[in-house]
Amino acid sequence: MTRRTTGRVVVDNLPWLLLVALVGVFTGINPRFVGPFSLANIFSVAAPLLCLSLGATFVIITGSIDLSVGAIVSASCVIYGTTFPVLGNWSIVVAVAFGFLAGSLNGLLFTWLKIPSFMVTLAASALWKSVALILVGGGAKGIPMELWKGLKWAEFSLGVVPILFLVALCVFGLYLFIQTKSALGRAIFAVGANERAARMFGLNVNSTKFWAFAMSGAGSALAGAFYSIELKTSLATIGDPVTLLAIAAVVIGGTPLTGGRGSVLRTLLGALLVVIIQNGLNTVAVDPYWQQIVFGAFTIVAVYLNSERGGRNLIVK
Amino acid sequence: MATVESNPSTERDAALRTVAAEFSQRIAAERAKSRIIRLGPFLVMIFLVIVMSILVPGFFSFINLVSVLQQVATPLVLSMGLTFVLLLGSIDLSLEGVMGFTGSIVALLVLNTKNSLDLGVLGILAAVAAGTLFGLVSGLFHTRLKIPSFMVTFGMGSAITGFGILSYRGIPASIKDPMFAQVASGTFLGIPLLTWFALVVFFIALAIERYTAFGRHVYAIGENESVARAGGINVDRIKVTVFAWSAFCASIAGVFGAIKLNIGEVIISSGFLFSTITAVVVGGTSLVGGSGGVVQSLVGVVIVTIIQDSMILLGVNAYVQPAVQGMIVVAAVALTVARGRKLIFK
Amino acid sequence: MEEVLFRARNIGKEYPGTVALSGVDLEVRAGEVVGLVGENGAGKSTLLRIISCVEQPTTGSMEMRGQPFRGRNLLEANQLGVGMVFQEQSLMKNLSVAQNIYLGRERGFRRLGFINWGRMNAAGSRALSAIGLKDISPARKVLELDFATRQMVEIAKVLNIVGDRKGGCLILLDEPTSVLNDAEIRRLFEEIKEITRQGSSIVFVSHRLSEVIEISDRIYVFKDGRQTALVDKANADENLLYEKMVGRSTSGEYFKVNRQTEPADQVILEVRGLGVKGYFRDVSFRVRRGEVLGICGVVGSGKEEVCAVLCGDDRPDTGQFFLDGTECRFSSPADALKAGILSVPKERREEGVIGTLSVAENISLSSLGAVSRRRLISGRALVGRAKDWIRTLNIKTSGPRESVETLSGGNAQKVVFARVISGENKVVILNHPTRGVDVGAKEEIYQLIREMTEKGIGVVLLGDTLEETISVSSRLVVMKDGLVMAEMDAPRLAKPSQLDIVRYMM
Repeated sequence: MTRRTTGRVVVDNLPWLLLVALVGVFTGINPRFVGPFSLANIFSVAAPLLCLSLGATFVIITGSIDLSVGAIVSASCVIYGTTFPVLGNWSIVVAVAFGFLAGSLNGLLFTWLKIPSFMVTLAASALWKSVALILVGGGAKGIPMELWKGLKWAEFSLGVVPILFLVALCVFGLYLFIQTKSALGRAIFAVGANERAARMFGLNVNSTKFWAFAMSGAGSALAGAFYSIELKTSLATIGDPVTLLAIAAVVIGGTPLTGGRGSVLRTLLGALLVVIIQNGLNTVAVDPYWQQIVFGAFTIVAVYLNSERGGRNLIVK
Repeated sequence: MATVESNPSTERDAALRTVAAEFSQRIAAERAKSRIIRLGPFLVMIFLVIVMSILVPGFFSFINLVSVLQQVATPLVLSMGLTFVLLLGSIDLSLEGVMGFTGSIVALLVLNTKNSLDLGVLGILAAVAAGTLFGLVSGLFHTRLKIPSFMVTFGMGSAITGFGILSYRGIPASIKDPMFAQVASGTFLGIPLLTWFALVVFFIALAIERYTAFGRHVYAIGENESVARAGGINVDRIKVTVFAWSAFCASIAGVFGAIKLNIGEVIISSGFLFSTITAVVVGGTSLVGGSGGVVQSLVGVVIVTIIQDSMILLGVNAYVQPAVQGMIVVAAVALTVARGRKLIFK
Repeated sequence: MEEVLFRARNIGKEYPGTVALSGVDLEVRAGEVVGLVGENGAGKSTLLRIISCVEQPTTGSMEMRGQPFRGRNLLEANQLGVGMVFQEQSLMKNLSVAQNIYLGRERGFRRLGFINWGRMNAAGSRALSAIGLKDISPARKVLELDFATRQMVEIAKVLNIVGDRKGGCLILLDEPTSVLNDAEIRRLFEEIKEITRQGSSIVFVSHRLSEVIEISDRIYVFKDGRQTALVDKANADENLLYEKMVGRSTSGEYFKVNRQTEPADQVILEVRGLGVKGYFRDVSFRVRRGEVLGICGVVGSGKEEVCAVLCGDDRPDTGQFFLDGTECRFSSPADALKAGILSVPKERREEGVIGTLSVAENISLSSLGAVSRRRLISGRALVGRAKDWIRTLNIKTSGPRESVETLSGGNAQKVVFARVISGENKVVILNHPTRGVDVGAKEEIYQLIREMTEKGIGVVLLGDTLEETISVSSRLVVMKDGLVMAEMDAPRLAKPSQLDIVRYMM
C-alpha cells in the first residue's frame, strides 16, 4: 500500500524545486542568465526537445522505451531539408508523416513480433541513422539561401518566446488533451500500471502500445523539422546526443521508467530543466565535455528516485 | 434432478492419458526448437561462406580471408563480454562508451604526442582496469538501486563517453610507442596477432562458461532468478561480476582499437555496440537469458563479419551496413522469441 | 516403524480476513508415506508451505526427530532435513542433471576455481541411484528429459540436499502425478517405496484419491482448515474419505438460494467440443439466460482454462463456442468484451483491478463509451457513475478518486463487480468471486449475482468452495483431469449434496 510519505511528497515535487533552485543559482552566478537573449535561447533549444520528449513520455508510461527517437530526429531533419526546396513549409507535414510511419513500424514490430522494446528501437535507430546518412550523402547539406525567406516566419517571437516554442506548446496541449480526455490516454496508464489487468479489462493492449510508439515517432520527427528550420540545414548527426536528453527530460520531470504514472506536464517541466541545466552549465563556463557526464548521472539518479521500490521480490533485468 | 454422466471408464482413461500426452508433446516441441537454435546459426555460417565464395568476387582469396580474420578480432572480444550479460537476461548498452574511453586513455598513458608518459604495458593494464571499474559501478547501480540494465548502461555509457572526450579535450593523442605498430601489423602462422589475442579471450570465456560454478549460475539466474536466489546463489554478486567482465572485454576491445588506428579517441568504437548485439543474438543467445553461449557468439561474430566483408567487397554504401544489421537482428529475435500465449513484453 | 520423524502440534495460520488452518496436528513416522487429502482451500497447500518453512505459522510448533523445528526459509528447512518438490518445476533446463542437483553446492567439486564435472557426474549418479534411478545419465541436459523424468530428478535433488544426514528426512510432494501417465505413476511409486525403505518419509498430497489410498500408510483428511479424520490404509475407502472431506452446509439463507431464478429457455452461451492441448478436451455445455452454471473441479481439472478460453484470454485448439448464436473467435479479452463477455478474474490484485488507478477509473475502464461524449471522456460522468456504484454496492472508500490499492479485499471486489456489470454484458464469468472477501461482503456479492441473473445475464461460476458453487448455481458441470465427468441440475429446492459431486471430482 503506498502512502504519501514526506519523502514521496518531496520527490514528487522535486522537479519544480530543482527548477527554481537552478534558475536561482545560475542567475546568481551570472545575472544575464535571465536576460532576454538567454531566455530566448532557452526556449528555442527547448522547443524541439519538448516535442520529442512528449511522445517518448507516452511510450515510457506504458512501460516500454524508445531508443530510436534520436535517429528519427536525424532522418526527419534530413527529409525536411531535402523536401523544403520542393514543398516549402509543407515539408513539415511530410516530416511528421514520416515520423508517424517510423513510430508505427516500431509499434508493429514490438506488438506483432513480440521483441522487447529496447531491441526494436535500437535496431530502428540503426536503420534511420543509415537512412539519414545516405539521403544526405554523409554529412550535412544546407538549405539554399534563396529559399530562406520561406523560413522567415520561424524568426518571429512573442516577447522572449520564439514562435517555434509556441508551436511546441500547442503540440504539448494536444498531447495533454490525449492524455487526460481520451480513452487512449486512460489505456496508456492502465497498460503501464498493470498490463495483465488492462488486458483482462478488455482494453486493446497492442493497439495502445502501437499508438504510443506512433506518437513518439511523430513528435520526434517534428523536432527534427524544427532543428532543420533553426539551423537551415539537413544534418544527419543532429539526433545523436538527443536520445539521452529526451529520456532525461522525461525522467527528470518525474515520470518513472516502470510505467503507469507520470504526465506530459512533468515532461514539459523536465525538458525546460534539461535545457536550463545545459545552458546554465554553458553560462557558468563549465567544460562542454562534462555535460554528457552530468546528464548520464542525472538520469540514473532521477530513475532511482522515481522508481517503485517494490520490495525484496522485485526482479530487475 | 437430471444427472448426465459422460465418459464411461475406459474411454475416460484413454482420454486422461491423452491430456498427459499432449503435455509431453509441448516439452518435445520445446526440445526440438532448442536444437534448431543451437545448430541453425552454424549451418547458416557454412551456407554463407559457400554462397559468398560463389557470388562475391574476391571473397574466397587468401588476402580477403586474412582480412576477415583480422576484422573478427574486435567484435569477438566484445561479444565475449556481452554474451554473459545476455545470458543473465540483461543488456549492456555501454560497450561503445567503455571501448572509446579505454582507447582514449591508453593512448595518453603510453608514449604519445600529447604528454610525456611512457607506461607501455603498464599503461595498457591501467586503462583496462579503469574501464573495468566502470562496469563494476554499473553493476552496482543495477543491483543496489534496482535500475533496469538498459537504463543504467545507457546512462553510464553516455557518461563514460564524456569522460573519454574529457580526457583528451577534443584533440586526441597519437600513439608513438613502437610496440603498438608492431602488434597492429604482426602475424603468427599467418593469422594477425590481434586475432590471436581475441582467441585467448575466447578460450578464457569458454572456460568460465563451461568449467566454473559461476558460469552455471549465470545460466540459472537467466532462466529463473527467483528459484536461483531461493537456492542460495548470490545473485547480486554474480550480476555485478558479469557487468564488470563485460566492461573488461570492452576495455580490451578499446585497446585493440587504439592499436589498429594508432590514435586514442572515442569514435573508434562507433557502430560496435549494434554489430556486437547483432552477432550475439544471431549466434543463438536469447535476449531473455538462460540459453546460448560463447561458442554460439563466435559463430554469430563470423556470420556478421562475413556479411560486412561481403558488402564492402560488393561496393555497398557503408551507411547501409547498420540498417542491414538492424533487419537481421530483428529477424533473428523474432524467430527465436518464445511465442508463449500470454507473455508480457516491455 | 513406530519412531516419529516429524510432528506438528496445533498449527494455525491466519491471513488478514481468513483463517487458513487451525488446530492442526500432524505426525509422520519414519519410513512411512502420509497422504493429505481435501478440497481446494481445505488447507493442504498451506500446511505444506508451513512445513517447508516457505511461510511461518501463526500458532503452533513443529518437531523434527524430537528437536524443535523452525526455519526462516526453504534453505533452512533443507538444512534441517525437510525438502519439498513443488508443483511448478524448479530445475534449470539448460543445465545438466548433476549440475541441477548440486546447484549452489559446487564447493566440494572445485579445484583452483574450476569444476571437475567427472566427479560431479559420479556423485550425481550416486544421488540418482539412491532412489533407484539407474538409467538417467547425470550429464544430460534437463531440457532433453521428459516431464516425468524431470520430476524424478527433482525428487533425487531434494533427497540429496536434505538427506546428507543419518536418521532419515522428510520429503513433501505436492500433486506429483497431475501430468503423469500410468507407467510414469508406477515408476514414481517405486521411487517412493525405495525412499521409505531407507528410512525417510513422504507426505503425499493429491486430489486423486485412488492413488493416495494406494501409496499412503495413513491418510489425513482436511476440511476448512481443520483436520477431520485420520484413516489407516486398511480402513481407507474412497466413500469414507469423501464423507470426511465435505461437511455441514451453511444455511441456504447465506447464499440467497431463495432468490435463485428459474433460467429462461433461451440459450445464451453454447460450448461444443472445446479443448486446449494439455489442459482439457471435449468440453460441451450450455448456459441459458438468467442461469448460473457452476463448474466444479479441483486444481488441474481444467476448469480455469475453460474460463480463460471463454473470456478470450486463451485460444482453443479444438471446438467452438457460440454467444447468442454467433460463433466466437476471440484473440484477446478485448474481442470478448466487444461481443459481450467479461470476467471477474481470480487474481484480484494482478488482473481484477489496477491498483494505482482510482475507483472511478477502475469502474469505467471496461465501458468508457458510457462516460464519454463524442469520444471525449467526461470527468464528471466518470465520477458520477462511480458515486452511484459506491452507494448502490455500499463500497467503503473515501471517494471515487481514491486508489483502489488502499481498499480492502471485499470492497475492491465490489469495484470489480461494478466494472463488470457496468457494461451491457451478456455473459459474465465469475472466477472465485468471493476469494479473500469478508463474510459481510460475500453475502452482498451473492445478492449481486442473483440480481444479475434476474436481469437475464448468463453466469459461469467457479466457486471458492464446492458448497458455494452448488448453492449459487442452477446447473452444475463437474470436471476432472481435463474432462467433463458429469452434469446435473441444481434447482432451488433440490440441491445435490457435496458428496454426490465430490466423487466425480476426484
